Amino acid sequence: MSHSGFFGEYGGRYVAEVLKQPLEELEQAFSSALSDTSFLQELQDIGQDYIGRPTPLMPAHRASKATGGADIWVKLEGLANTGAHKINNAIGQALLAKRMGKTRIIAETGAGQHGVATAAACARLGLECVVFMGAEDIRRQRPNVHWMTLYGAEVRPVETGSQTLKDAVNAALRDWSARWGDTHYLLGSALGPSPFPDMVREFQSVIGKETQIQAAQAQFQPDALVACVGGGSNAIGFFSPWIDQVHPLLIGAEAGGRGRGVGAHAARMDGEGQKAVAQGYKSLFLTDEDGQLQATHSISAGLDYPGIGPQLAHLGQSGRIQFQAIRDDEALEALQFFARHEGLIFALESAHAAAAALHIARELGPGKSVVVNMSGRGDKDVFITGSALGGETWGHFLSDETRRFEARKEGQK
Amino acid sequence: MSKNSIGLVAHFVAGYPSLEASFEVAMGLVAGGATALEMQIPYSDPSADGPVIEKACAQSLAGGFRVDEAFALAKRITEATDVPLFVMSYAGLVYARGITRFTQDAAQAGVMGLIVPDLVPGADEGFFAAAAAAGCPGVPVLVTDVSEQRLQEILHEPAQWLYVALRRGVTGAYTELDEAQKKFLGALRQREGERHQVMAGFGIREYSQVQILEGLVDAVVAGTALVSSVAAHPGEERMAAQNAAAHILGQK
Repeated sequence: MSHSGFFGEYGGRYVAEVLKQPLEELEQAFSSALSDTSFLQELQDIGQDYIGRPTPLMPAHRASKATGGADIWVKLEGLANTGAHKINNAIGQALLAKRMGKTRIIAETGAGQHGVATAAACARLGLECVVFMGAEDIRRQRPNVHWMTLYGAEVRPVETGSQTLKDAVNAALRDWSARWGDTHYLLGSALGPSPFPDMVREFQSVIGKETQIQAAQAQFQPDALVACVGGGSNAIGFFSPWIDQVHPLLIGAEAGGRGRGVGAHAARMDGEGQKAVAQGYKSLFLTDEDGQLQATHSISAGLDYPGIGPQLAHLGQSGRIQFQAIRDDEALEALQFFARHEGLIFALESAHAAAAALHIARELGPGKSVVVNMSGRGDKDVFITGSALGGETWGHFLSDETRRFEARKEGQK
Repeated sequence: MSKNSIGLVAHFVAGYPSLEASFEVAMGLVAGGATALEMQIPYSDPSADGPVIEKACAQSLAGGFRVDEAFALAKRITEATDVPLFVMSYAGLVYARGITRFTQDAAQAGVMGLIVPDLVPGADEGFFAAAAAAGCPGVPVLVTDVSEQRLQEILHEPAQWLYVALRRGVTGAYTELDEAQKKFLGALRQREGERHQVMAGFGIREYSQVQILEGLVDAVVAGTALVSSVAAHPGEERMAAQNAAAHILGQK
């Protein structure tokens, strides 16, 4: 837990006066829910019945053998309902919101995974749902917009700024300022003003707790844990049982994008992050000299964000977590490697962790164990991986599909 | 002074639509009757602003606007007019420059006060103390349903002006005052009138709103309505700003 909202020097609550009261209300409700066994039981039940917990911890025998290093294990978090870890937090906060008497949920989304998880959680729990999404992201991630709408959520395009995740956060904060009486802001990552970093970590800590039990059952002690880090919710949840210990090695994989340079990556820790206050919290951000947030790039939309959760920034600076920037091409290579050797298609975000896991497995060598969190599965990325890896035939498929769509439309007239 | 007993704090965005034009806007606002100016230094993520002001900020930044230029512009304005100038921006820019340096640069440019909505008393990184020490005090933002305890905390900071946000949410939408808000403003003036001046804003577009606030606050803040007007008259920013300010003051 943070100390008054801070992890070392990072974190805090830098918000307009109007948001002070709703954040205090949320902090109290969260803290009382955590000590209420009926709330925790409800969370566990829905985790089992709806999310599909526990998710497996799988020994990756063929991948380990091909790598020739440490034994690689994969936490299959991507098997959670809706395809990624995001649902853990969405369900947790939606339950909390209901307990607080809120009837409406708002959320920001970048790639759309958190939006999909929130829309699903709201459908499951009978809450009204509005998801703010950058207009640029809507263009890039249309399939997720389709799913959110199918779950009954309203997807509201954000036309301001870079029209991506950070602008969606701003739009959600604005809506919440005006309507917090009946509305809960279901923030998707372990960042933003306190108490969100603590709350999101707690709801995601189920990943780490399960891994700990499953590793003990499989009779091994992990020597290294690897997770990808955008805002960092899967990483902090996965690492959480081990944060206060010296072992195992904790490794965070950031988006190295196309390489160094402004707008080419989203590596804050293993890169050019500056101490800054933005979006309600203090952490390391990619900013210019004036403090303006900079453009970022990653092949994975979920890692394409200029800030990092304050607890991760703190643990990075204290040396507890090591960060590695993994480039787009390395992530794509790891994606193919695990597909061929283990029958697993990692989400592009998680493929950054997979690449870092292969590095550390080689480094540690045989006899050691590495656990990588496959925080999401890659079905959602079919349009990106199709274009990147599918060659000409993928292009033909898309044009044929467009023609078929037009023909169907004509036929209906 | 305007013909009213209530002042107008007229907001504009530095560097919008261009550096030179934003100086013209400031001069136009003064000519239109503004009794104070509020210059916003554009930030990449202005989460307390509505779409009109955010768009203006984005355009200013797209034109390459830098914080150094904002202070140079502030100096030019304070040398050109006796109308006091407030500067508004966000924690991101204040923190990046260094709280002390930011407040000192503002003071040296002749700025009267600083409005930074996401640095609030109790979580301000020493902003209010630094600003007061520099001679350019922070202007705390109040919401009208503030608790007595919180109000005490806020009033404890060294400030000359208070900014009352008349609605929840962000700048831009039309606000109708309700009785509770009027009552709050009346009570605030009664207890703080000796020590603080009060400006109130968010959603002020019409003279009718100004009239309702007369006697309750020292000045109204208008932003979105003015920025919209500037945006609608490319090449005639000075006149557009002057007319828009005069309109809000019921002089046109």
